[in-house]
Amino acid sequence: MKIKALVTLFLIVLFCTGCQKEKDTEKPKVAVVISTLNNPWFVVLAESAAENARTLGYEAKIFDSQNNPAVESDNFENLISSGFDAILFNPTDADGSVSNILKAKEAGVPVFCMDREVNSNEAATSQVLSDNYSGCVELGIEFVKALNEKGKYVEIIGLVGDNNTWARSGGFHSVVDKFPGFEMVAQQSGDFDRNKAMEVLETIMQAHPDIDAVFCGNDAMALGAYQALQSAGKADKVKVFGFDGADEVIEKIAEGKIVATGMQYPKVMAETAAKYADEYFKGKRDFPQRVPVEVELVVKENAKRFLNDK
Amino acid sequence: MKNIVLIILIAILAYNSVYFEKLSELADSGTSEFNFGAYADSLYNQGILKNDEAVNLEVLLNELKTDKDLAFKNYGNRLGIGSSAFFMTKIEGEVIAKTELGLKVRTPSKQVVEVDTKFIFGNAIRDASQLVQLTDFKTNAEFNALSEALNQIIREKEIPVQLEKINQGDHVSVTGALKLSKNQELPIQLLPVKLKRQ
Repeated sequence: MKIKALVTLFLIVLFCTGCQKEKDTEKPKVAVVISTLNNPWFVVLAESAAENARTLGYEAKIFDSQNNPAVESDNFENLISSGFDAILFNPTDADGSVSNILKAKEAGVPVFCMDREVNSNEAATSQVLSDNYSGCVELGIEFVKALNEKGKYVEIIGLVGDNNTWARSGGFHSVVDKFPGFEMVAQQSGDFDRNKAMEVLETIMQAHPDIDAVFCGNDAMALGAYQALQSAGKADKVKVFGFDGADEVIEKIAEGKIVATGMQYPKVMAETAAKYADEYFKGKRDFPQRVPVEVELVVKENAKRFLNDK
Repeated sequence: MKNIVLIILIAILAYNSVYFEKLSELADSGTSEFNFGAYADSLYNQGILKNDEAVNLEVLLNELKTDKDLAFKNYGNRLGIGSSAFFMTKIEGEVIAKTELGLKVRTPSKQVVEVDTKFIFGNAIRDASQLVQLTDFKTNAEFNALSEALNQIIREKEIPVQLEKINQGDHVSVTGALKLSKNQELPIQLLPVKLKRQ
């Protein structure tokens, strides 16, 4: 009887040791939570982040928040309970996403934001963000020069709850508003969406058929705006400006159909966030709260360089 | 009579139930009460103007030819990740033209430098000064608001007064921010912080 008990005890100890060893050798898991995978730009960001995490030796899984804070919140609860060790995060909302990051923080899971900023300095471990403001200052200067300091224009902004929307708009207006020859006839949200921007501009042009330019908060909306102008037979007269550095827009810039865009570097942001997670696993704790990533101006003169770089 | 009162009541209710707010006002509603103007004024007068660390443009261009990375490291400032940097540089030379953009100055080494007094925008001067760190402000929006306040002082107050005293043919010294990139050749164009007739 005693021998039976001893054997059972031995087996239990052996089993537990085995479990421990398995846990020790298990790769840390990195979750990549993305605002939406319904936009090619964010697909590049997500896949680059996951690929970089895998290259560094970690398991990686992508979660799609479908631009919905409630889905994002569910994603966080699932990944925390599933034992993920770090999150590379592209938030849906500058304010609304803070509570999700804090949940992860409370569970001891570091969060590294990519591309979109949240309104807190105490939540994320670090935030790697495009320098949207500076990029749009350069676009603003290009806008003023291209239009000879005067004209009526439309601004199609992105999601109202996203800080990038206002950083871009702010950079642009910090320049253009200093030139009294400009009149902004409408400022409306196109939700960073191509079709929505097209519809928005079509409606605006009914009231303002004599616009000279359209400034869009991203390239998807610039393409939508260009489409609306083409349908109205005004693509040659109205100057379009975008932001992102999408291939299709750069090609149009090279052809002289769109004036300029700001080249963002999602792969650099993803790589930096994955590198930070790796450093965190290795013991580093003092990360800069915000790391701006340069945005470069793309105009007809240098468009080919950006196409060749891809 | 009853109907008129009812219509008035409905009109009042309808008027007060709809509230229009500009999108930009909505975005500004969270702006802090920090006095960016006063901070920028102090940064310009006590910091930038008193700082004598600007590198001579000729020295910088020579060092860039010898070792680009080292020149960027020694004299440039890039906050975050990127291939370009901002440099606080100084030149002396003859004003060969007063243009719509500002001045064209020919240095003793015959280099013609554009001094752009029109497009003093963005973070060029703030970053070239190397006097402000990313951690000095809580949000990117505040950090950028400082640049706007600083640019406003320089572009709208200080430089126009200094520019007025300068004519074609004058010998001048100029200190200003210069953007250079490791990836592409950018025009040598200074955003001035100080113009002085010699």
